[in-house]
Amino acid sequence: MSDQLTNMDRNQIEQTVLTVLGTVLKLPFSVGMDLRRRDCPAWDSLKHIEIMFTLEEELGMEFNEAELAALDSVVSIVEAALAKHEA
Amino acid sequence: MRHDLILEGHAFRLRPITDEDAVRIVDLRSNPTLNRYLHASAGLVEDQLAWLARYYDRPGDYYFAVEHTADHRFEGLVAIYDIDTCTKSGEWGRWILRQGSLAAVESAWLIYRVGFDLLGLEYVLCRTVAENVRVVSFHDSCGITERRLLPKHFTLDGHIHDAIEHRLGRQAWAVIEPNLKKLARLVAGKSTHD
Repeated sequence: MSDQLTNMDRNQIEQTVLTVLGTVLKLPFSVGMDLRRRDCPAWDSLKHIEIMFTLEEELGMEFNEAELAALDSVVSIVEAALAKHEA
Repeated sequence: MRHDLILEGHAFRLRPITDEDAVRIVDLRSNPTLNRYLHASAGLVEDQLAWLARYYDRPGDYYFAVEHTADHRFEGLVAIYDIDTCTKSGEWGRWILRQGSLAAVESAWLIYRVGFDLLGLEYVLCRTVAENVRVVSFHDSCGITERRLLPKHFTLDGHIHDAIEHRLGRQAWAVIEPNLKKLARLVAGKSTHD
């Protein structure tokens, strides 16, 4: 596990996820929002790839192929990141 | 039309459609989650085979299966058609991928390469049902800035729909291609083969 990830807590992970989503999708997000892909037309297949690889860099972790396809909401991404953090 | 174009990407390839794909085509195009914005198509394999027989005789129409390079896993379909040799243009579409497929970016990158690199086109169009906002967004996200509204362009299941046309010329392709290629390579790095 990277030092970057070790020092993160849930709030920091959530804030990072929201910041990356906001930057890539060019939309404002605030903590506590559970945006889902299906409710956000701008979160298209290309943006999804950009989001997930930017998150890998920012969080210092890697998502596998199944996660890349399945993680489709703020909550699911935060939970997956947290699970890797705690593993 | 019958063709022999095969284009390999980082994780996926385009290969010509054959009769052996008829069942897969019917399965994919009959999926209500995926076919909402597609023209109605044959619901029976026999009808799909008849459609393919007509397609094989239709010039300027290149229909592909999208499959995984490592294990030939079927990912979906894409085509480029209405090739105009005078204006050196064509339209791509019939794009449908299995749920959960990661082939979207790479299949788009590959079909543009078919148009520009293999067929020598000067521009490639894509017309999307305007309400299909996620796919419209995908084309915008590719970096295609030349777009226009085509009012009442599509009739789907008896209902008339506007279309958004994205037009990509060769010069603009040179600008957006590196990012599509980069993203396709990143996805390929995740690829696993069961």
